[in-house]
Amino acid sequence: MTRISARYLAKRLVISYLTLLVIMTILFVLIRSMPGSFINSMITREMDADQIRRLREVWGLNEPLWRQYIDFIINYQTGEFGRSPTQKVSVWSLIIRRLPRTLILFGSSFIVAYTVGPLVGMYLGWWRGSKKDKTIFATGLTMYSMPSFWIAWIFIWLFDYELEWLKAEFMLDQFASFAWTPVTAMTNVLHHIALPLISMSFVGWVGAMLVMRPSMNNVTSQDYVFLAQAKGLSERTVMMKHAARNALIPVATQAIVGIAFMIDGSVIIEQVFSWPGIGKLMISAVMAQDYPITQATFFLLAVIIVAMRLLTDIVYTILDPRIKFGEES
Amino acid sequence: MSTKSEQVSRVDNLKERWEPRIERFRRGWDRYTRHRMGVIGLLILAVYILWALFPSVFAPHGTEWRAFVGSDTSAYLTPQIRSQLPHPPAFGPMFGDEFFAPLGTNKLGYGIFTKMVYAARSALYIGFAAGLLSSLVGVPLGLISGFYGDTWIDELIQRIVDVMYGMPFIPFLIVLVAIRGISTTNIILGIAITSWLNNCILIRGETLSLKERSYIESAKVAGASDTRIVFRHIFPNVVPLAFVFLAQDAAVAIIAQASLAYLGLADFTTNSWGLMIENVKASGFIFTAPWWVIPPGLAITSIAAAFYFIGFSVEDVVNPQD
Repeated sequence: MTRISARYLAKRLVISYLTLLVIMTILFVLIRSMPGSFINSMITREMDADQIRRLREVWGLNEPLWRQYIDFIINYQTGEFGRSPTQKVSVWSLIIRRLPRTLILFGSSFIVAYTVGPLVGMYLGWWRGSKKDKTIFATGLTMYSMPSFWIAWIFIWLFDYELEWLKAEFMLDQFASFAWTPVTAMTNVLHHIALPLISMSFVGWVGAMLVMRPSMNNVTSQDYVFLAQAKGLSERTVMMKHAARNALIPVATQAIVGIAFMIDGSVIIEQVFSWPGIGKLMISAVMAQDYPITQATFFLLAVIIVAMRLLTDIVYTILDPRIKFGEES
Repeated sequence: MSTKSEQVSRVDNLKERWEPRIERFRRGWDRYTRHRMGVIGLLILAVYILWALFPSVFAPHGTEWRAFVGSDTSAYLTPQIRSQLPHPPAFGPMFGDEFFAPLGTNKLGYGIFTKMVYAARSALYIGFAAGLLSSLVGVPLGLISGFYGDTWIDELIQRIVDVMYGMPFIPFLIVLVAIRGISTTNIILGIAITSWLNNCILIRGETLSLKERSYIESAKVAGASDTRIVFRHIFPNVVPLAFVFLAQDAAVAIIAQASLAYLGLADFTTNSWGLMIENVKASGFIFTAPWWVIPPGLAITSIAAAFYFIGFSVEDVVNPQD
């Protein structure tokens, strides 16, 4: 960890912050560019002109645009996402409850996908061109092409409906007795998380494999791999310790794109499995035309992506001892 | 005044310029056909293109055909008929009426196979339109960014790409469609806005390495302008690579559109595979009507896989690894 200089970290932090600022701006432009106004969905038949004026007042629509923009940016940075017009509570309280659930599902499937993907990619790259490589590669690409919601429904049909092994809905048993101990709660969550986790990583691991395979193949022709083999080390040691560690670096770069891809997957999978997370909240808010929630959930997903990217950057430096960030080379 | 000999020399000139390219293409094609994956991809794509162009040839019925009542759009489905829908695959005459539905019917009696064939057009349209649009944005930006590497132009483009990567892709599409209205055009535009990034970054990398080649140096010495170098000398060399990303973008776009359709954010007046899966779920037959659930998903999978197969085989032709 000492390799990461404070200056580099500060630079990455500033860039992440600027990214979020730009995303907030895009969000603002998007919402303001919609036909009509976003309070249209809150206006009901019974309202008179005065109430509508008051509604505009409350949402700050009477102020000049630059003023609205500054308010928007400041509010979003302080966690003031406003109140939801459909659920009549503050958006922040809705979101903060769902954030950990999304992170549990997203985080665990990210870990699974980025463990399986590089491992498979490592084997395929090592034995590139063999029949096994071609078959597994083509299978992987086919899995990558599957719409995640469809494969999720097939899994639900198989494991929940037919075999009744796993649960396909929510995060905990609904209407169960409330004698939860940490152990029963954990097993219950595991029982429920298995299917969404499998469905998400079923599609997600391929992205890492696609990068690991050519990267591993490049590494195998390097001199140090040859040297390691000449020293008489076992093939397994050479592959895992010498080749794979270096081949992993492009995977860390790809993870930046992979994170966004997995977030997409998690939004859809949450919807399929009624997982009470941010993605599900977002979809139901879109359907109910609840724009404060829609904006805030989108923003929060962007924050997750930016934070994960920062983390990936740090992992990157740990993986590759040759990179010394923040120092002149 | 153009004389005959001048014309001949122009034809010769053209021939001379194009012959090596045609030769290169032929060699590439030979290499391509050695990939079984790529050939399978092309075959699948060919089938779907045929479906999209001539749906009436492949579909057993027209779009208005319904089980038991035929093509009469105003016919009333009796409760007795309704209780039999969705109907599993049937191949023979039934109730005195011709009844041929190789993949069964949906809840309203429409043939699944017919719907699948007619939906190929929208899937291909979305794939090609979104793929082409994101290439049209990503490739020129990648070329410019690579050619002016390490200048403020490159820096600016790379920062834009960096920021755009921070945006969640499907949520962005959801917000965009929710705000701008649910239409196929908006979906395609949204996909193009978010998916040109990969093209840009990878084309930039390729341009950076091409830029160092000696023939670019000599073009520079010969006094070629930057525009000429980029579009005349570098661009033709990144075209195959651009094609790889076009194919991948097309696959991503088709899956993204299907996902949006599943979430209920697609144009419900059109016919699409994603919408078919949504309909099964919405009418509650997901566990009981496998003939209705599985084919549209397989169609999406196979068309996206075909694009990936083609893309990766072309990539292998362009940069041979072994």
